[in-house]
Amino acid sequence: MLQLARRPELGAIGGLFVVTIFFAATADASMFTAAGVMNVLSPAAQLGILAVGAGLLMVAGEFDLSIGSMVAFAGLVFAATLVVWGAPLPIAILLTFAFAISAGMLNAQIVLKTGLPSFIVTLASLFILRGLTLVGLKWATEGSTQLRGVREAVGDSWMLELFSGDAFAGLFAPGIPVEVLWFVAVAALGAFVLARTRFGNWTLAAGGDANAARNSGVPVADVKAILFVATACCAALVAILTVLDAGSTDARRGFQKEFEAIIAAVIGGCLLTGGFGSIVGAFFGSIIFGMVVIGLTYTDIDQDWYQVFLGGMLMMAVLFNNYVRKQATGERS
Amino acid sequence: MSNIPLLEARDVARNFGSVVSLSGVSLKLFSGEVHCLLGDNGAGKSTLIKILSGVHRPSRGELLVDGEPVSFASPRDALDRGIATVFQDLAMIPLMSVMRNFFLGREPIRRLGPVSLFDSKYAERVTRDEMEKMGIRIRDPHQAVGTLSGGERQCIAIARAVHFGARVLILDEPTSALGVTQTELVLKCIKEVRSRGLGVIFITHNVRHALAVGDRFTVLDRGRTLECRTRDDIGLDELQDLMSGGRLPATA
Amino acid sequence: MSNGLKIVWAAAVALIAGVILGVTMFEKADPARAGARAASNERIIMITHGQAADPYWNIVRNGAEEAAKQVGVELDYRAPETFDMIRMAELITSAANQKPAGIIVSIPDASALSAPIRGAVQSGIPLVSINSGTDVAAELGSMIHVGQDEYQTGKKVGERLRTEGARKVLCVNHEVGNTALDARCKGVEDGFGAAVAVLPTSTDYQEVRSKIAAALSGDSSIDAIVTLNASQVGEPAVEAARESGRAIRVATFDLSPGFLEALQRGEASFAVDPQAWLQGYLGTVLLANRIRYGVMPANPLIETGPRFVTQADAGKVLSLSKRAIR
Repeated sequence: MLQLARRPELGAIGGLFVVTIFFAATADASMFTAAGVMNVLSPAAQLGILAVGAGLLMVAGEFDLSIGSMVAFAGLVFAATLVVWGAPLPIAILLTFAFAISAGMLNAQIVLKTGLPSFIVTLASLFILRGLTLVGLKWATEGSTQLRGVREAVGDSWMLELFSGDAFAGLFAPGIPVEVLWFVAVAALGAFVLARTRFGNWTLAAGGDANAARNSGVPVADVKAILFVATACCAALVAILTVLDAGSTDARRGFQKEFEAIIAAVIGGCLLTGGFGSIVGAFFGSIIFGMVVIGLTYTDIDQDWYQVFLGGMLMMAVLFNNYVRKQATGERS
Repeated sequence: MSNIPLLEARDVARNFGSVVSLSGVSLKLFSGEVHCLLGDNGAGKSTLIKILSGVHRPSRGELLVDGEPVSFASPRDALDRGIATVFQDLAMIPLMSVMRNFFLGREPIRRLGPVSLFDSKYAERVTRDEMEKMGIRIRDPHQAVGTLSGGERQCIAIARAVHFGARVLILDEPTSALGVTQTELVLKCIKEVRSRGLGVIFITHNVRHALAVGDRFTVLDRGRTLECRTRDDIGLDELQDLMSGGRLPATA
Repeated sequence: MSNGLKIVWAAAVALIAGVILGVTMFEKADPARAGARAASNERIIMITHGQAADPYWNIVRNGAEEAAKQVGVELDYRAPETFDMIRMAELITSAANQKPAGIIVSIPDASALSAPIRGAVQSGIPLVSINSGTDVAAELGSMIHVGQDEYQTGKKVGERLRTEGARKVLCVNHEVGNTALDARCKGVEDGFGAAVAVLPTSTDYQEVRSKIAAALSGDSSIDAIVTLNASQVGEPAVEAARESGRAIRVATFDLSPGFLEALQRGEASFAVDPQAWLQGYLGTVLLANRIRYGVMPANPLIETGPRFVTQADAGKVLSLSKRAIR
């Protein structure tokens, strides 16, 4: 029982419970129908995929503040390849991931070679990528900051089913949006890697004490590089899913999502200083986030209170997770 | 008890540029023995252990393992020859569990296709067994190292080194930051390690701790071996005298 | 914490608690809300892309809420925190799920919003649109569109500057990437007929003023500035123009008390009143009547702007601007 009180995801699960009860009491009943649940899970899924990447990287002791801009940039690459170049969907997807991998690797190499805090390096990337997105969009659309026509450009590709639309629509009414399935898959993969693989042990070690880890033979630099790349790929995946869904992209996609991803990871129990955390927790943290964002619109509460809610929730989550972590790691307060 | 020392340093000297850290140190470590390395701050103890563990190469003199001259290319090299060093920071990660720390960098694997899974069952079992053999009962191998006392952490570091095949264990000031009970725990572990036939180099500047476990005592002073005595050959006061740079009164 | 600090903290908290209690005790319950809740099967949900803190959208919202009060329907205003089309689509879906009597939307990105809008329409909810999306509104199922086309308005602004004799125009965009705003500057350029420099800024007053001052000193041929927001960008632009000592025309989209005062003093040229109030007001009134009596004008588009406000009428408009009506 005591072991349960030390699990990092406890805060997120408890939080989800509390938030659900809150909305069960205050929200319109339509929130808990199948359509309503999928409506809530949509933003949760997009944020959640980012939170898995951001969470793993945080556990390893690094930050990537550029993931929001990466979503926008990947969206530009993806849409431009389809609409301007006219390439088939699989090529566009491949190229988008190629850009993500390069950008992630570039971030990683700068951080690792210079020893600068990743916070600062990726903050710079945040601006660079956002700026490149703007420049690129204006070039691709000859003056506009919105690129449309993706649906027409994709047409009837075989890969479309994988990245767009609703699955299992036959089984029950609205079906499950594909992005939710991706969210579950990515979260499951992330959680599995962290908890059960050798790489996961290396990740925890790199974040807990990079020097001690290095001295014990853990390839800390490689671990961090891989995670930077993984995070960028999560951003690319979200970009592909949302651009296909919306049929367009603009210069503001993913704006400030890097902070939301970090919030979801922190609500999920990931320590900002690294070395401790849970991807299962980040999963639930993202769902809490989605519930608050969309759930508020099912209630009578004035939308202006959204930020107050968000901040309050974050504060409580952090306090509770702090308590859990101290129990787990035996820190004397 | 074999007569060939497990590890020997012969007239080892080391300088960094114009700074002379060691100017002639000799030391013999035999199997099944605890050899205490004493000396005040700045005597050259840390430079010596860095040479013994492969971090630096000696500027002069030689190192011998099992009587054969060796030259360590890197700490990894020394480790491969069975010379394990437990530094003061222990290379332990407080946020991680005991068993994950135990197998840090040497994780037991089960393969699932291309993926290397961390074999927690094995890790759990072995961690528990090794600690029991060392005389420490760990309630739960999943508990974070941060929840354990300083003495327990030292013992885990020692047990880890021994489990992975150390023949020589170099302990850098393991008891310096510990209270009385914790120190007892560590000394108990050191005795257990000695009884298994390993050689232990125990660096300390606490003479009482040294006398509690030591079989042989080498005192360093300003980069040179001042004296080397065996247990029967020296007492508390004399050792303290030597440490502070005094000279033994001539045995008249 | 020392005792002194504790006392200070307790005193501050007590003061705040006292003020809140005092204020709430004297606050009357809003009669409109109470009345509207009685007829709760007449609930309209309005989803726009304009953030709650944006002064322009505040005018839209005020117009809508005034109309709701007058007509006696319940109005819920929703908007994403930033310009976020994905989030806006989710908000529209959320609104449709709750089966309100009617929905009002703005359409800054027809592609991203088409699915949820069509879904709402197909589930039988009457839907009208305002502000952006003039060309796509009818096709998506909107019964009527009340708005101004940002691009067209920009064009008229550009044309007016040309006829007034301006030689080189600087268009200050305070939220690059917001397609509605980007369209305005593009319209200005096409209407003006020559290249227009676009200066990106934030909405920070000091930053805007410094950046415009820098742009002016860097290019002495600029003799006209167009801003897309009166209070946060137009007013610092007026200051920057005045400080430069050159004869520069300053024009802005939207209105604000400060800018109107500048107009009165002759320090600015004209402002474009998009009559945002009308967008919110008419949208709500038309939808409410459609819900109640099934009536709707046959014309699919009501253009609410632009209406140019110059020095002559600035005074009249000023008091209304202070109440966030114009």
